[in-house]
Amino acid sequence: MSDEIDIGVLAESFAEFLGAEWPREKAVAFARGDAPMAADLWAQAGALGWTALTVSEVQGGLGLGTQAAAALHEALGAAAAPLPMLGNTLAVALLDAVATQEQQDALVAGLSDSSQRAAMASPGSAVIDADSAELNGVVSDVLDAPSATLLFLRGSRAGQPVWIALPADAAGVTIERSLLADTSRSLGTVTLQNVALADAHVLADNCGPGLDDELLRLAGIALAADSLGCGNAVLVATIEYMGVREQFGRLIGSFQALKHRVADHKAALEAARGLVEHASALAPDAPGALLAALTAKQHVTRIVAEVARDCIQLYGGVGFTSEYVPHIYLKRAKLNEVLFGTRTVLLDRIADILEAA
Amino acid sequence: MSRTYDILGKVGDEQAFRQEIRDWLAEHMPRNWRTEWQQVRGSALKTEIVKWLEARRAVGLGTPHWPKEWGGPGLPFSYQIMVYEELSRADAPEVEMFIISLFHTPATLFEHGTPEQKDKYLSGIIHGTDIWCQGFSEPGAGSDLASLRTSARLEGDHYVANGQKIWSSGAAHADYCLLLARTDPNGKRKHDGISYFILDMKSPGVEVRPINQITGEAHFAEIFMDDVKIPVANLIGAEGNGWNIAQSTLSTERGLLIFGEVERLARSFELDGQAARDTWMRDVQFRREYAALYGELQTVRLMIRKLLIELEANPDKASPTLPTYIKLTWGPFLQRYTEFLLRAEGLETQKWQPAIPGTGHSSRLRFNDFLNSYGWTIAGGSNEIMRNIIAERILGMPKG
Repeated sequence: MSDEIDIGVLAESFAEFLGAEWPREKAVAFARGDAPMAADLWAQAGALGWTALTVSEVQGGLGLGTQAAAALHEALGAAAAPLPMLGNTLAVALLDAVATQEQQDALVAGLSDSSQRAAMASPGSAVIDADSAELNGVVSDVLDAPSATLLFLRGSRAGQPVWIALPADAAGVTIERSLLADTSRSLGTVTLQNVALADAHVLADNCGPGLDDELLRLAGIALAADSLGCGNAVLVATIEYMGVREQFGRLIGSFQALKHRVADHKAALEAARGLVEHASALAPDAPGALLAALTAKQHVTRIVAEVARDCIQLYGGVGFTSEYVPHIYLKRAKLNEVLFGTRTVLLDRIADILEAA
Repeated sequence: MSRTYDILGKVGDEQAFRQEIRDWLAEHMPRNWRTEWQQVRGSALKTEIVKWLEARRAVGLGTPHWPKEWGGPGLPFSYQIMVYEELSRADAPEVEMFIISLFHTPATLFEHGTPEQKDKYLSGIIHGTDIWCQGFSEPGAGSDLASLRTSARLEGDHYVANGQKIWSSGAAHADYCLLLARTDPNGKRKHDGISYFILDMKSPGVEVRPINQITGEAHFAEIFMDDVKIPVANLIGAEGNGWNIAQSTLSTERGLLIFGEVERLARSFELDGQAARDTWMRDVQFRREYAALYGELQTVRLMIRKLLIELEANPDKASPTLPTYIKLTWGPFLQRYTEFLLRAEGLETQKWQPAIPGTGHSSRLRFNDFLNSYGWTIAGGSNEIMRNIIAERILGMPKG
């Protein structure tokens, strides 16, 4: 299947659909409410097969790879779409890598058809003791937990790292939402009180550091792609505005002091695109695959956060109002920058890899 | 034990081709060129570079990117890329005095020269030691090149040129100059009425004065022309078409030339990090800065690779915008990285040393490399001009 699908055509179809279904006005309006996700849009995305993109063909999915996932996340970023897609992208990869056949059969179909929404604990989050028959503990700040139906948490059993896959509505599970500046995603703290643990919940094979790196690689690429979409979209909106807003009898887009900043942003985004394309084109086990993904994550999320920051300034006063779109992208870009490892953590890891080379 | 090398015969087998170049370089590349070339300048340096160029010619790599028709090896584009990659990797010297001869002159003449011009001047490059320089910029026409004022007046079988050129690299040693001059002062736009000439630097009335640079070197020179006669046969293309032809000249800077520079820097970036294992790589701040700069370097390398792939597939369909983004990214990156090294390596970098010709921007003489980085942010259309191009031509923002 993957040989037959042109990623460019796929990307166009994502952008076209979101452009029609989730225009700027909707993104701005959604930010005024407090829903943890856009439920209708999620259902539409599922119906279009977006949640089945990277699911293997054996499991009824499209069997596409990281490039397709990156294209999807870029489109979601460009629309600032309030969809908890990252959890599904990561959960599909996790299950593919370490779940037993029974576990895959039980869990993948729901993720693939979008009836299940996954939330994944990030690297460094609390490790739950999975040796006893009941789980207890607190995992703070899990992305998309408030809208999730399935939780993937880090655990330890017999001294070995494992993953725990729990239904979000299991008895003893509570999720307390923290409101975010970025209203297009949600965050929640998961508390487990005497939650009954079945063997079916435990993903026990090969959950070592290699798996953590693979999840980090995929999350890094998805977040970099999301940011790339954000950056291009906010810059396009800003250029449009600068082409209609007049001051001193001239369009503000004609002022060199402003348009040189726009040109720098444009060049930075074009440069950043190469990092996302390169990282997503490498096979997961290719030499340099992790380095490329971490580099894309730290660089792209950083420069896009700066582009979005400056776009509010370029808009001027209206950029500070909730009526206009740039704040949506700024908030999303700032969240992307810190999810799954802050920049300094990634830079330290990159330096380690460069030194070991 | 010397053996015969058949590099061109390995075309079709990438591995063998690369290996043959590597083996040849191992035997024939001047070993201590970095220290030896540091001591020589002017005609003595030319002698050294010509020796190296001759060695390259002996295996068909004198002009790796030239088509067969004009005496080049006619390599497929991907093999041209491999040649420059291998030269950079081996830290082979750059043939700096001959850059215009090897790149800009053919880029101009291949497309626009008469058969006689091609025969005469290209053979002087491919078999000879002709050094070319470029006479584009003027004191009053830098970034605003089209406002140039050097004049060329037709008088019978020759033009009479008067004016002044500046920032002409290597003019002090040049045999010929690619000259832009105004033949019609009454053009509607300032781009009109500019013509393109081959100027013989030995013509009476040509005077060259070197410009001392902040690096202590004098690569650049001013060229003064006082009633200099240029034969009509030395006009390239039609009279008044100089501006368009100049675009062909400058387009050569956007492909293999910049690729070689960046790959060379990528190699020295790696070596710099390794050499600093026990020094600044143990400082958490510098270490992170180095890791961040790695990301910037990758953006440049990946853009250039994308451009080269596009050029190889179809030069007419390659992105017209990518070269602008590359220039606006590469120059500032180079400046940040070379500046970073001054801070990371401290006082040692402040000690003055003569430049090493032939190293591009990777001499690893830190202060020199830092100062030379302005060559990519000011020359060839300053980055401010690049920003205007992006904003107005690419993004369609209103003109100021």
